[in-house]
Amino acid sequence: MRALADVTGETLRRWREAKGWDVPRMARELRKVARDSGEDVAAHHGLVKMIPQWERGGRVPRERYRLLYQKIFADALGDLSQGMALGTDFALRFAEVRSRAARLPSPDEIKALEAAALARPREAMTPAEIRAVAAQAIAHLHETADKLAELSALLGGDGPGAGKPGEGKPGEDKR
Amino acid sequence: MSARDDEIRRVLAELEVHVAEAEASIAVLKALLADDEVQVEENP
Repeated sequence: MRALADVTGETLRRWREAKGWDVPRMARELRKVARDSGEDVAAHHGLVKMIPQWERGGRVPRERYRLLYQKIFADALGDLSQGMALGTDFALRFAEVRSRAARLPSPDEIKALEAAALARPREAMTPAEIRAVAAQAIAHLHETADKLAELSALLGGDGPGAGKPGEGKPGEDKR
Repeated sequence: MSARDDEIRRVLAELEVHVAEAEASIAVLKALLADDEVQVEENP
């Protein structure tokens, strides 16, 4: 609970968005976890009103809701706990960048974007420039995977959210 | 702060740069395709 107490409304919003959930979906997930654990929570429309208030920082979620968030975002909180020794700022940055890396398209998807862009002549960029941009994207994708593996090794390797290959690897997390 | 902590912070900063660069390059490619969609809508 201590870790979640350090989480800002902005972080709650980022975690929700990292899952690709809109507010009504977040409300459904909270109600689902509550139902599974036999908790009483507000009705769906009430949660849809409260979630944006929590995320804007206008209101703080009560303990029962904080516990539900903790269950839903256990992975993110794992990152947070693991990185706490290096400070909250580090833990939040690590959790956020891992989430962004996981949303990057795969090299094959980048090649498909490149092919689609090359398929139509355009004035804005030459084919060589388009190929260069795609190559850069793929190179940075590989560097991202390498840095995640390096961080994993530095942080001890087998903890939650340590960025093991195949889990949270850029372009491979298809939530 | 230990040398290991410094190393972890350095790698995290490099990771953030690579993710940002990848996102920027991918955004350029997507913007090119989005331009096509706008043109198709304007000149169906």
